[in-house]
Amino acid sequence: MIRLENVTKVYPTSTRPALDGVSVDIEKGEFVFLVGSSGSGKSTFLRLLLKEDVPTTGRVHVLGKDLARLSSWKVPYFRRQIGCVFQDFRLLPNKTVTQNVAFALEVIGKPQSTIEKVVPEVLELVGLEGKGHRMPDELSGGEQQRVAVARAFVNRPMLLIADEPTGNLDPSTSVGIMKLLDRINRTGTTVVMATHDAQIVDSMRRRVVELSGGHVVRDQTRGVYGYGA
Amino acid sequence: MRAQFVLSEIFIGLRRNLTMTIALVVTLMVSLGLVGAALLVREQVDEMKGYWYDKVEVTVYLCGSTSLSPNCAGKEVTQEQREQINKDLSTTAQVEKVYYESKQEAYSRFKEQFKDSPDLVANVSADALPESFRVKLKDPTQFEVVASAFQDRPGVDAVQDLKKALDPVFQVLSRFQLLALATAGFSLFAAVLLVSNTVRVAAFSRRRETGIMRLVGASNLYIQLPFLLEGVIAGLVGAALASGLVAVGKYFLVDLVLRDTIKFTNFIGWGEVIGVVPWLLLLGVVLSGLASFLTLRRHLRV
Repeated sequence: MIRLENVTKVYPTSTRPALDGVSVDIEKGEFVFLVGSSGSGKSTFLRLLLKEDVPTTGRVHVLGKDLARLSSWKVPYFRRQIGCVFQDFRLLPNKTVTQNVAFALEVIGKPQSTIEKVVPEVLELVGLEGKGHRMPDELSGGEQQRVAVARAFVNRPMLLIADEPTGNLDPSTSVGIMKLLDRINRTGTTVVMATHDAQIVDSMRRRVVELSGGHVVRDQTRGVYGYGA
Repeated sequence: MRAQFVLSEIFIGLRRNLTMTIALVVTLMVSLGLVGAALLVREQVDEMKGYWYDKVEVTVYLCGSTSLSPNCAGKEVTQEQREQINKDLSTTAQVEKVYYESKQEAYSRFKEQFKDSPDLVANVSADALPESFRVKLKDPTQFEVVASAFQDRPGVDAVQDLKKALDPVFQVLSRFQLLALATAGFSLFAAVLLVSNTVRVAAFSRRRETGIMRLVGASNLYIQLPFLLEGVIAGLVGAALASGLVAVGKYFLVDLVLRDTIKFTNFIGWGEVIGVVPWLLLLGVVLSGLASFLTLRRHLRV
């Protein structure tokens, strides 16, 4: 599903590599936490998976594709198989919940009939039935993140990438989001989630990959957040 | 591709940025209008050249009772001189054809030419107009040969090259064309910068949308098309207005003024104006489309 082979990424403005000789294998259907302090390379890791950046050396394979060989015009079609969720939700403030989710389908050219069918389905899945006509600023943070998850999942991606999805949420709301991500994972979607939230990692008992200074310092199948946490 | 989605995006973009859009359209209108004017001036020059170059190129005026040239010494041309000149003109190697125009013929041509000014015609008698030989040359540039051979001949009042008489007119027109093109060039440059700026502002104000579009895998075309079309539509509107400007200018300048005051030539008609319109539209669309495209490549990298 995902394979990084000896990946190093050096940004032009920096002398220290953001990732330094990282090799990770992630199987289909896995749920992986990516932990580490700020600047440890988590964001770079996720950017490489989306081909938002290319590694300086090493190879990145995602969804059976060698990203170095993926021509740039194919990148959008590749990204359609991946859902993304972020700390700041990234919803469009001038569109309703339904429109926000539908937007993701409209811009990849899905027919209106499909959109009208799948959007209510996915809103129900994330627990937002009956709130489709609301504007994002009328919703709580947890609900907004559910909209973002709905948008990421509406296209039934093979892989869901979550970059600190609970970073802006209080602990009890975070639990709800994690339950949602867990449900999505159980449908067979691989989930890779970068997080700082020790409580969540410890309670989920899933695979943990810890980055520090651009190196993988820990890779446990049923891990906890960290020894110091 | 969902046309309705793209169209609504374009409309929102143009309206959000209304003042800039207006500035852009007006600049395009003025600059493309100047391009249109330059093109029409060229058409006019061609029209005049066609009109005149078809006709006699050199006119040998013969001495009449009103001639002031010292060559005539106040005397009218004699029958003998007239025949001699005719014979010599016909045997000159550079000459293709010679027509004789009598005073009476000159008078009827004069009357025809100024039929809209009866006062002028009434004041001129047939006798006041000079008789002449109208000479068609094999090569119009050989005027000097004929002029030097005949202008001092007894009975010749003056030798006039119509091309030479028209040269200042053509010169003014070609200078005007050059000026219009240069001004058009500068303002088109400004228009291109404005297109680029408009598109950049539009891309910036919609970076949230485009960010999400990138994320969910919208194709480059889908992301860029609304911006590109925004530029193209502005170009199209500017070119359409410029075409209107050119048509209005042609009507007021040519139809209302020049056609009545200047009788000696043809003027461009609506056919020429309509012929210019596709070029203006093409130029407007291509320029603004290209400017948008290049701007997008820099500011909307996928």
